[in-house]
Amino acid sequence: MVKRLTAWVVDGDPLGFGTMSSVARGRVREMMGEVMTAQGRSLPTDDTADLREIGFRSLDFSELALRVEDELGDELNFDAPGLRRIATVGDVLDFIEHLQSA
Amino acid sequence: MTAAVTSRRRTTALIGDDNTVVVAGKRLTWRTLHKLPQLPSPAAVLVDSGADALAALRHHAVHGTELLVATESRVDMRMREELGESGFAIVLPNGEVTPAKLKRVEESGRAWLLTSGSTGRPKRIGHTLESLTTVTGDQPPRTWLLPYSPGTYAWWQVVTLSLTQADQGLVVIEPSELEEWPAIAAEHGVTAASGTPTFWRQAIYRDADALAAVPLEQITLGGEPVDQAILDQLREIFPKARISWIYASSEVGASIVVHDGKAGFPKSWLDREPDPERPMLTVQGDELVIRSPHHGAGLVGAVHTGDRIEYDGDRVLITGRLDTDEINVGGSKVSAGVVRNVLMGHPGVSWARVFARKAPLVGRMVAAEVVPNRSLGPITDADLVQWCSTRLPDYGVPRRIKFLDEIPQKETLKSDV
Repeated sequence: MVKRLTAWVVDGDPLGFGTMSSVARGRVREMMGEVMTAQGRSLPTDDTADLREIGFRSLDFSELALRVEDELGDELNFDAPGLRRIATVGDVLDFIEHLQSA
Repeated sequence: MTAAVTSRRRTTALIGDDNTVVVAGKRLTWRTLHKLPQLPSPAAVLVDSGADALAALRHHAVHGTELLVATESRVDMRMREELGESGFAIVLPNGEVTPAKLKRVEESGRAWLLTSGSTGRPKRIGHTLESLTTVTGDQPPRTWLLPYSPGTYAWWQVVTLSLTQADQGLVVIEPSELEEWPAIAAEHGVTAASGTPTFWRQAIYRDADALAAVPLEQITLGGEPVDQAILDQLREIFPKARISWIYASSEVGASIVVHDGKAGFPKSWLDREPDPERPMLTVQGDELVIRSPHHGAGLVGAVHTGDRIEYDGDRVLITGRLDTDEINVGGSKVSAGVVRNVLMGHPGVSWARVFARKAPLVGRMVAAEVVPNRSLGPITDADLVQWCSTRLPDYGVPRRIKFLDEIPQKETLKSDV
């Protein structure tokens, strides 16, 4: 079975995003809400909400990444070095934002 | 009732020479088709019309020449070079002939087919009129639709039936007529038609009423995985017709024929006692393996088909190509064909393609393209996700679904599902 969202995902200094337009944090949050809604759950307004408690799993995270990629019209680069802890809604939004702004 | 294809004594005499052949609206017979003068042998005859392809086939049948026939668009310059170097003169639709670069003795009676190329570049498979004539015995009088691209295995199946059996007329559908074939078929009294599931799906999608006006008694599907939804839709439109699906390929010939209206074939057909007249079906790993009396030249013995199977109760479903069917989602494996069958089972879906999409964390995710059934109102990706969620494991639910305006279709009548 697919595991629940791991606590650690790749982080660091992704390359090649200098010219990419970005999806605003608020819009990423909206998309995150859409992912949750499609799974019959809802996204709390609180960014400190724990991902395990709200049932946001690795498949959901992956879907969110694809939604962002579709809106960007380009792939996100997750192959950068380093690790970052992803435990809350805010962590997810920070991480996606970081990938786009690096 | 279901039955495996058996190889009885075959006749390749031109018993059907006086059968009706309708091309470009003209009612002819095989005998009165135009002739192709001085056709070289071996020849690769590249055609841009169904009439020329039939004329080339009859020439081959009468004179025993070595022939490869294909549409001009399927044979690119590189392949023409390769054919020339293999001893084939290239005959273009305008009659222009490029002599073979290699002079060799013809293989009398050899018919060459090009594979559909679903596993890469098309390959050349050697047959004879006899090995291609798999429908034998007394057939009820029928008028067959011929929508297939000339030179494909499915095309050979229909044309050899018409040429070697009595009362088997043909109505040729040119590529430019594909969208309106039901009207042409109704006009000429077509009673039997063979097509890919994509072909049938498009006909239902475009105009189910026009399709229902065709007096079909025999409906055949093949060339792609056949799902239960399309069988059920056709049954609803044609409650009295015999609906069959065929597993056939240039390599192993027609090896499985199922008439019971169900997807897949009975598990009991696997590993039966050897019988030289009947294809032997086995499964190795997830792959369908066939020893067939209808095989192409040099393909004696077990042929690994590259097609993936999955068991469903007492049935064996053929879900798609091994190299593309299995999607690994974070270590959990799911068949694209199975997901597609679930999507196609939704009443609001006319067509679907399921594929893997690269994704973070899980490596690959299931994604889909869907053509909605316009007559049943709008559907959303959330509707489909919910539908799939109750029928598939989490990792098998397509998370990204793109809606298309029409069903894509290639020259082979397939749609890359």
